[in-house]
Amino acid sequence: MSETLLQTDGLTKRFGALTANDEITLGVDRGEIRGLIGPNGSGKTTFFNSLTGFYTPDEGTVTFDGTDITGWESHRIAREGVGRTFQIAAPFGNMTVRQNMLAVQTPKSVDEHERAQEILEFLDIDHIADDDASGMSGGQKKLLGLGRVLMLDPECILLDEPTAGVNPALADRILEHLRELNDRGTTFMIIEHDMDVLKQIVDTVSVLDQGRHIVQGTFEEVSTDDRVREAYLGSADDDEVPV
Amino acid sequence: MVSTELLSQSIINGLLLGGIYVTVGVGFALVFGVLEIIDFAVGEYVMLGAFTGAIVAPMVGGEGLLVVPLAFVAFFLVGVVIQPFIHHVTTGDRPMPLLMGLVFTFGLATFMRGSILTIFGPNTRNVPTNALSGGIEIGGLGTFPEVRVVTAVVGVLSLVAFMYYLYRTTGGTAIRAIAEDRDIARLMGVNINRYQSIAYGVYAGLTATGGVFIGLIYSAGPGMGLQYTAFAFFMIVLAGLGYLPGIIISGIVLGLAQSLTAVYLGGELVFFVLFGMIYVLLLVRPEGLLGKGEVA
Repeated sequence: MSETLLQTDGLTKRFGALTANDEITLGVDRGEIRGLIGPNGSGKTTFFNSLTGFYTPDEGTVTFDGTDITGWESHRIAREGVGRTFQIAAPFGNMTVRQNMLAVQTPKSVDEHERAQEILEFLDIDHIADDDASGMSGGQKKLLGLGRVLMLDPECILLDEPTAGVNPALADRILEHLRELNDRGTTFMIIEHDMDVLKQIVDTVSVLDQGRHIVQGTFEEVSTDDRVREAYLGSADDDEVPV
Repeated sequence: MVSTELLSQSIINGLLLGGIYVTVGVGFALVFGVLEIIDFAVGEYVMLGAFTGAIVAPMVGGEGLLVVPLAFVAFFLVGVVIQPFIHHVTTGDRPMPLLMGLVFTFGLATFMRGSILTIFGPNTRNVPTNALSGGIEIGGLGTFPEVRVVTAVVGVLSLVAFMYYLYRTTGGTAIRAIAEDRDIARLMGVNINRYQSIAYGVYAGLTATGGVFIGLIYSAGPGMGLQYTAFAFFMIVLAGLGYLPGIIISGIVLGLAQSLTAVYLGGELVFFVLFGMIYVLLLVRPEGLLGKGEVA
């Protein structure tokens, strides 16, 4: 059995009468790529927000690499090794691409300029390093978002729709980068609505519905699971999870 | 008949004033960007700085200039103490943080003004100086009070130092990142609270320092703050909310408008002219004369 890197136990987040995350217990193994799916409003983004310190959970714990990080502030969680990107890739528009990378608060022991250059080369955006970030294409902004996260050298990265709104060629490139990072040992959890993308990249999938973690398994297992179909369609009569 | 000598003197006087207004405006814009508040207390920091000059200068041999570094350090610390309260009222589950910030700083401004009025009474006081009592001849255009020239020079120097910090250091980059997108900055490992504290401290320190100089030029009075709050609003609206390079120009425009209006139309019309300019500007170009609607 492989080692769990990120674990939640009974994680609950309420907004007034709405329970957005309802006792979610879920573990992500070191080195895996986990998909996180669920219908709109099922609590995926809330879950990410609770994991990364944007929300303080009402109940439950978050453990990362053996350390209880429940209720920590976002910047501490980021420095501890949990990276995250947003669905909307927004670079700091008044800075160059390189300055965006250098805005990340790396440990003092790191040569930030060297690391920024390496990452920009890895992501193939080093040729625009000194251009204004506001002029980048949507896909390039996503790459920069990933690049900034990599500056912290995270063990685990949470991605919110990494390829949404990106042209197919660039989307493939992004997936390629994710695989390569995964080969080097980075663990991922990915919110993704595009089942084709998901199928290509994930090892396992967790499904949320109405704030609950209802199923976990391989893509094939999950996509034929009655509970998942019911979550998406409101009944188990149809054959397939919608794409 | 307009005398060219009077005109050039008014312009230089305006530029000299602009130098110190810029330091006030830049801090105000920074706090707007980094703490996401409009600080109604900005003018009261000017007033407190001027009062510090008036009270402390006699204790240090009657030299107001010696109060300057002291005022910066003291009000940096005041800012660091006050920032957590601002953070508290503008974060968490509170709706409309911008409004909460406005209410809080309005209360803070009232408290500052009221305290000074209660402790020191309504009278204005001079900030004494011996070192800067002479005049300086500028390029055949006339003789200008040393205190105004030095004020402008210090204003420009502190602005340069501040810009260097913002654009050339890791801490400055973090502050600009917060100003652009607080949430992403947090994910980049930036300790928001810490840098908000630094930003508010630097702002309070700079503004109070500006206040010492304004006290040296004019005087210190408990009711003087509101004028500088109005000036700060004028500068950031003209610059396009929080656009820092624009603040430099709008500070100079402010100094010139004040000086030229006072000389040619009468001192009582200064505010009429300034707010007339803002009114027209907001009608014609609501994003500000120079602005991109962004900070830093």
